[in-house]
Amino acid sequence: MRKFRINRENNVGPTEEQIARQKDFSRLHHEYERLTKRNKKPIYRDPKLYLLFVLIAIILMLILLSEKN
Amino acid sequence: MILRRKDRNSIQISDSELVVLAKKDVKYFGQLYNKYFDRIFYFTFKRIGGNEDAAGDLTQQTFLKALANIGKYEDRGLPFSSWLYKIAQNEINAFFKSGSKTIVVDIEERNVQDLCDEGNIEGISSIEDQEKLIELLNGMKSEELDLIELRFFQGMSFKEIADIYAITEANAKMRVYRILERLNKKWKELK
Repeated sequence: MRKFRINRENNVGPTEEQIARQKDFSRLHHEYERLTKRNKKPIYRDPKLYLLFVLIAIILMLILLSEKN
Repeated sequence: MILRRKDRNSIQISDSELVVLAKKDVKYFGQLYNKYFDRIFYFTFKRIGGNEDAAGDLTQQTFLKALANIGKYEDRGLPFSSWLYKIAQNEINAFFKSGSKTIVVDIEERNVQDLCDEGNIEGISSIEDQEKLIELLNGMKSEELDLIELRFFQGMSFKEIADIYAITEANAKMRVYRILERLNKKWKELK
């Protein structure tokens, strides 16, 4: 919620210094990179994904063995 | 790509050209950022009552959203800045909704005078009258205050307001004048 008030003393806009302090494209670029870059963690470092692949491999092996028999 | 040569040393690229380039390479967005940061920061700073850090965060958030969605941006003949103002407006509204405390927004005396002149609000002769009028204004709906703020406290033209709201200039004018009429009516009742 906002409420207006008449300021009769000071300038209500920001100063040049305040603008300069907040202006930082490298920070924006860094945040953007952090948000958009995909997770580069290798599969073997992700225990859940690793387990899933092991399970799939075991199931495939079992299927192949049963077909041979 | 048409590049306009401003002088021998610098080449000026239009916003729509920069947008096309920024869609392919983020570094070109930096030029749009440098060009519009001051205006968006000024807009945000004034609207949230002069809190520098919050205004800085909201402005960064505005540009981050713009950058993330630049691929979806379509040039419909409106200025690029109106798209940024629209995002900033949404960010500010979300900021107001998220907080429970009331934010005091400072305005200048001449802004009140402009409002009275354009709205034909008569009988504002003293500081007390101005304070009473602001009190009436504070009682109005948030959407109405948005328009009043853009027109009188941010000093935007009807064309700029129309671009932000994606409406016609005549429609923007009509909306503002209707709000002024309601305010004037309330003022007359009070008097």
